[in-house]
Amino acid sequence: MTDSTPPLIDARDLSFTVGTAGGPVNILRGVSLTIRPGESVGIVGPSGSGKTTLLMLLAGLERATGGALRVAGLDLGALDEDALARFRRDRLGIVFQAFHLIPTMTALENVAVPLEFAGRRDAFDRAAAALQSVGLGHRLDHYPGQLSGGEQQRVALARAIVGEPQLILADEPTGNLDRGNGTAVMDLLFGLQRDSGTTLLLITHDAALAARCARQIRIEDGRIASDSAVLAEAA
Amino acid sequence: MIEGAALGARGTLGLAWRLARRELRGGFAGLRIVIACLALGVAAIAAVGTLRAATEAGLAEDASRLLGGDLEIRSTYQPLPPEGRAWIAARGGRLSEVVQMRAMAIGPSGERSLVELKAVDGAYPLYGALVLDPPVPQGGLMPGGLMPGGLMMDRSIVERLGLKPGDEVRIGEARFPLRAVIVTEPDKVATPAIFGPRAMIPLADVERTALIQPGSMVAYEYRVALPAGADARGFAAALRTQPFADGGWRIRVADQAAPSVTRFVDQAASFLVLAGLTALLVGGIGVATGVRAWLEARARTIATLRCLGAPANLIFATYFAQVMVLAAIGIGIGLVAGYALTWAAASALAGALPVPPRLGLYPWPLALAAIYGLLTALAFSLWPLGRARDIPGAALFRTGLAAPTVRPRLSLVAANAAAALALVGLVVATADRPMFAAWFCLGALATLGMFRLGASLLMAAARAMPRLRMPSVRLGLANLHRPGAPTPIMLVALGIGLTTLAAVAMIEGNLRRQIAESLPEAAPSFYFIDIQADQAEAFDATARALPGVTEVERVPSLRARIVAVDGVPVEQMVVSPETAWALRGDRGLTYTAKMPEGTRLVAGAWWPEEYAGPPLVSFDAGLAAGWGLQLGGTITVNVLGRDIELKVASLRDVAWRSLGINFTLVASPGLLSSAPHTNIATVRNAPGQDTAVLRALTDAFPNISGIRVRDALEAVASLLGRLGTALSSTAAVTLLAGMLVLAGAVAAGQARRVRDAVVLKTVGALRSQIRAAYLVEFGVLGLASGLLAAVAGTIAAWGVVRFVMHADWVFLPGTLASVVGLCLLLTLGFGYVGTSLALRARPAPLLRNE
Repeated sequence: MTDSTPPLIDARDLSFTVGTAGGPVNILRGVSLTIRPGESVGIVGPSGSGKTTLLMLLAGLERATGGALRVAGLDLGALDEDALARFRRDRLGIVFQAFHLIPTMTALENVAVPLEFAGRRDAFDRAAAALQSVGLGHRLDHYPGQLSGGEQQRVALARAIVGEPQLILADEPTGNLDRGNGTAVMDLLFGLQRDSGTTLLLITHDAALAARCARQIRIEDGRIASDSAVLAEAA
Repeated sequence: MIEGAALGARGTLGLAWRLARRELRGGFAGLRIVIACLALGVAAIAAVGTLRAATEAGLAEDASRLLGGDLEIRSTYQPLPPEGRAWIAARGGRLSEVVQMRAMAIGPSGERSLVELKAVDGAYPLYGALVLDPPVPQGGLMPGGLMPGGLMMDRSIVERLGLKPGDEVRIGEARFPLRAVIVTEPDKVATPAIFGPRAMIPLADVERTALIQPGSMVAYEYRVALPAGADARGFAAALRTQPFADGGWRIRVADQAAPSVTRFVDQAASFLVLAGLTALLVGGIGVATGVRAWLEARARTIATLRCLGAPANLIFATYFAQVMVLAAIGIGIGLVAGYALTWAAASALAGALPVPPRLGLYPWPLALAAIYGLLTALAFSLWPLGRARDIPGAALFRTGLAAPTVRPRLSLVAANAAAALALVGLVVATADRPMFAAWFCLGALATLGMFRLGASLLMAAARAMPRLRMPSVRLGLANLHRPGAPTPIMLVALGIGLTTLAAVAMIEGNLRRQIAESLPEAAPSFYFIDIQADQAEAFDATARALPGVTEVERVPSLRARIVAVDGVPVEQMVVSPETAWALRGDRGLTYTAKMPEGTRLVAGAWWPEEYAGPPLVSFDAGLAAGWGLQLGGTITVNVLGRDIELKVASLRDVAWRSLGINFTLVASPGLLSSAPHTNIATVRNAPGQDTAVLRALTDAFPNISGIRVRDALEAVASLLGRLGTALSSTAAVTLLAGMLVLAGAVAAGQARRVRDAVVLKTVGALRSQIRAAYLVEFGVLGLASGLLAAVAGTIAAWGVVRFVMHADWVFLPGTLASVVGLCLLLTLGFGYVGTSLALRARPAPLLRNE
């Protein structure tokens, strides 16, 4: 990989401010960041430092109040709500700490839904294959409530990868899991990332987990406090 | 370790009450639907009950004014003999004489109209006041305010004939100057003007009209004001035994001033109460779902309490107390709202009610409404409460959907069944027609079952659907059968509301149709009454010679009062309720040698044309069945003061709705032909000739009155229309309750809908796709409940029209289509609002880690 490849994520001076009763609160204060295709990036930082907000901005689930953000060549600030949904559908996979599966849909339906909305005829076949690849081939017709936490997160993982996205965003994916299940899910995530060459952005406050990523970025108080890539360049 | 003593029953209740209060302190937003549903149903029932009580109180309080006296003797054809007057006067009674008949009033322009003519003496009115416009000037008047030679008429006819004060109006052979407009007639309820507006002349002038001829349809009414403290019933009983008393008299005392009005009020009220109960039933479903959702939201609290050692009875008592407190609030609001509604309804219905209702606090209808509300709350909340009672502590450690299905214990199931049975028992016991009420309960239960079954079938069908290519449609259909989907509750709640609406719309439509649409081919254009025997031939000839007249039919007409059947006096007869009407008042009687065309004999045979033996009669088969009267039995009728015994020779099916000349009693000629009587004729003419035909015939025969069939039917239709409006508005309350439950169900699912929409947007669904999915879900739901409601409503309406109203049934697809359409609109509307709100939610806050 060379510097000439266009970056997958290109953030310039991103800021995010919310108005509260006690006056405006600056959650992100000028974050600039470039991530190239195929990179695996761990984002660490204390609670409230702005990690999750950064992920929301990258996913187009929140809009930055300042700065510029291009993801996969698209200027997210210029897209309307439906265009952002299409962007997520076609280029993005997201894994949340709380899984965010639809409780009234079976595992198979949960995974197939994004492909269905994309009009893919093979949605259910591909969803079954994705579940198979996370080791849940025998749980297709189970509802989330009938699955363990680890299994639910694997369904979420299958949903994130089923559309072969360019970018996977993961927000504390093991936060709700015990150590054994957490390790299994992460092994799976890194394995999939490695096999497909997808870009991975992992938010965690587990330093050991972050260390498994090729690059680590530390956020503190809404700013990038350190970036291993920058450090390496400087070295 | 703390040693605990077992809680006694009192301890449990006290603790439960403290726990209940503690939890309600945090608000009861989830149970607001319970309050609203109960309040709505209780309000409807309380309002109907109070209005009924107030109307009846109004009737009772003004009984003497309404009747026109403490006592009334009514005699057809014959005035009271002088001995009678003397007898009454000797006992301190003050007498007022009123003569009533139908007549034509003809204005100076030749414009004419049928009027209900009332000739009153100087004592009229004994009670109350006759209010005239202009008010009668003082001096030179008769005590009753009527000027000799003067005419008073209702405003409607004054306007129709284009009259000014002083204009001359011809009635019969006499001419009267118009003196005043009648504003209030105190005794109108007991002697309503049915076929035309009222006209009033002084009794002294009645002879000039030459309307009273042998056999004319004239009613003589004698009102008596008794001395203070006199017993009207005793007076009436003594009067009946006098030698001059006539079997044909009808004697009414003031507290029976308006039995037909009371009957009407009772029946209308009992229909309205049933409609109110339907609203309460739908509300009950709202109670059940509200309580269930409330308890589900508290499942963790309950499990926690169980883990901390709370016994099942304590849990039950705690939540039972909460539900009962809220039920009491709902019932209280319902009672207040219902009471307030009575006032609003009374002013809205001012013109339609027979008497101004005497508004006041009537405890019994309010108590009844409260009991209905309480029983409904119990019947619909005990099951979910019983299930909550048995939630185990271990539930705390389970996650997800797989809530265990707990069955309440047997004693609670029994209590629930008892509450439901008590509800049914109360409905039947307090109903005016218990059989109908029982059918209503059965029907309600069947409808409930049908909608529940329909929901299961719909869910099964949605589940069995092959995977569809269109994701929104697939998702929408799948939403119908997902675990915990509100499909059954939505279908049942909306469905029952709409079933009521569909049934009422169909019943109303059927009645209207019967009047409006069966008219053109079947009905004659006019009835002409009081045709004297010596005018009969001339009338026929004149009528037939008129241009546009296509048919003239004429038969003798007498009025007869049935006094005994098979020798049993009518007062002692036991008859079916549907046939009791025929024993009250006069019946039409005719005679003929030949069997009239179109007669359908169901038993016996017609007499030979030359028959000259003792009088025979052909009688209405339906009435005979209700009275237990057989062929060969006897009916004693009083005609013109004479009792005549008729032997039943045949029974007929009488087609009342043909609007031709129909008589309950058709006798053999002979004895009756010699009695003085008049003729009645029907005339059928080309459309547009009505005015000319009426004018020609009533000019030629001034004593003959013409009743335009269309006018008479329109009068009936407008009465039905008012009743229909009352019914529709009560049905609307049911629909409102249904919408409330539907809104509750939509709101209960809203958090889930928001969450699903956010997740779907996050994985790339467009807003239009999500909206389409929800619209498919709500659309199918609306269509399904609309169609089921159409079926159930049709069955209910058919039952009422056929078996309660004994009328012909017509299926009205247009009416039904609008019900289904309304249903679809409603559900789509609710769905659209719910979905739009869900789509408006910002995803980020929901997706952040909890």
